[in-house]
Amino acid sequence: MSDKRLSVGRVLRAGTQGFVFGCEALQPEIPKFGTFVRADGVAPGSAIYGLIYDVSLEDDLFARHFIGADTPEEVVRDQRVNRQVPIEVSVLAVGCGDRETILHCLPPQPPVTLDWLYQCTDEEVRTFTSRLDYFQLILGARQVPTDELLVASIRNAAEARTEREGEMFLVDAGRELARMLAGDPLRLEGLLRRLRAA
Amino acid sequence: MTLELSRLAEQMREMGQELATREEEYAKLIAQARQWLAQYADRGEQLRHPARAFHAAIPTDDPLDAQHSLPGVPERFTFIAADGAEIQPDSHEMAYYYLINVGALVYRHGSGQTPEAHSQPTIGYTESDLYDHDQLVSGNLLDIKRDLTEITRLADLCAAEPAEATTIAVVDGTLILWTLRDTPPAYQRAKALDYVRQLDRIRETGAVVAAFISRPRRGEVMRLLHLANEGSEVKQANEKPNPLRHLPDYAVFEMLPPGARSALFVSPASINHDHYAPVHTIHFFYLNVAAEGVPPAIARVEVPAWVADDAERLALVHGAIVAQARITGDYPYALVRADELAFISSPEREAFDDMVVSSLVRAGVPTALSPKKFFKTLTRQGKRKFR
Repeated sequence: MSDKRLSVGRVLRAGTQGFVFGCEALQPEIPKFGTFVRADGVAPGSAIYGLIYDVSLEDDLFARHFIGADTPEEVVRDQRVNRQVPIEVSVLAVGCGDRETILHCLPPQPPVTLDWLYQCTDEEVRTFTSRLDYFQLILGARQVPTDELLVASIRNAAEARTEREGEMFLVDAGRELARMLAGDPLRLEGLLRRLRAA
Repeated sequence: MTLELSRLAEQMREMGQELATREEEYAKLIAQARQWLAQYADRGEQLRHPARAFHAAIPTDDPLDAQHSLPGVPERFTFIAADGAEIQPDSHEMAYYYLINVGALVYRHGSGQTPEAHSQPTIGYTESDLYDHDQLVSGNLLDIKRDLTEITRLADLCAAEPAEATTIAVVDGTLILWTLRDTPPAYQRAKALDYVRQLDRIRETGAVVAAFISRPRRGEVMRLLHLANEGSEVKQANEKPNPLRHLPDYAVFEMLPPGARSALFVSPASINHDHYAPVHTIHFFYLNVAAEGVPPAIARVEVPAWVADDAERLALVHGAIVAQARITGDYPYALVRADELAFISSPEREAFDDMVVSSLVRAGVPTALSPKKFFKTLTRQGKRKFR
């Protein structure tokens, strides 16, 4: 469990269904697939919640030059730390809210370009995942590895709780999935198996 | 597209043939030049005086055909490279200004540390920025200002290094302010003095300084060989056409073994002798930075006299430049990065122009492009048809 609020990057492109942000370097914890993130909405006090579903490094001709070569450590560090090779991170929007309520729906407006994006604190994750309606937004998303994202987000939500609360959360999540995917037993079985392995 | 590539096809074919023919002719001339280099190798002393009068490379005590193999370098040394870019002032823009951006990389060999990347932009917009000795700062004069900004940045970064560090500072291009040639004598003197002061600052820090020129086109050694073949007689050499006049020096030095450098020469530029001498007289040598088993990559390296006259400092320049070049293959890594840090891309230029407009609007200054510039912005963006 962690309650620190980490900035993970700035918004590059955004729409109501999701957004892409850029960050300069990979860090041990961020950005990570399935992480809950939060951006400030345009209205004061409003927030947009999302899940990271893709982390990609842009191609770079100069960096390619050093692949396979006996590259000095100084060059590797220069390429990783100093050079502006942005890491693009895609986020699926799964909710929005104000100071009092959180809704599991697409936000009415996207975040603004170059706004900071933060990793949700454990408390924010617990609050957001106190209901599981956002599962529907993930299952309905296109061009997103939905099942993997669902499993990763459930794991992250369980880790944001105490061990006992986390176990209870996993059971509740399994029940919700069983209800939503009652007509697709094969997919449900795959999801539950992956959750058990978590 | 207004460049009708189809109309160039025939010219391209002819160009290919012409270059192939020239290659054969040049190969014979290169063989001739190498023969003269060996034949007159020990005539350095005899050639020294006439070489300056003939604007040819001035020999030092080295035999002309000397080859100095790659020396060892310290386990740890700091390589600082700087390069500059500029936006020239444009009377068609909304305001008259220029921008100089100097990029620099401080690379600590053998440290495993992340190199320090620096980028320092400066806008020139005041009367004193825009006019220097009553001359408008643009074109060549802005180039001089950029060169001065680069060497000053290098001197600043050298001064920031610990006194005990082994440091080499390198500029991309030349240490000689060639563009001063066409300026009035007082201006020339003042600018050369400014430049030399920065070389002094670098020297005082204990660092060494050099300039690196990739694939240089200069032909001063070719002039020297012609002079040598004419018995060191300047009048005779002037009267007879030099068969090597179209050959660049580097072609002759492609026989240097990997990592080796040529003899040292002194640049015959009058600016060098009028303003840099004696402490900073610019010397140069040619260097094959390529590794074993790959085609030669010849560069021209310039150093001031206080480096050229000190075997240890000269070996450091030689070894450090090769070590840096071998990182990429044949060009110093830190210079590639300094160029990248200085470069002003099109999107950056657009963003900069937007900032200029915003600041002018905030200050209540009317903003308008000249009619010529305005219509160029309409015709040069996203054009799909040319008729």
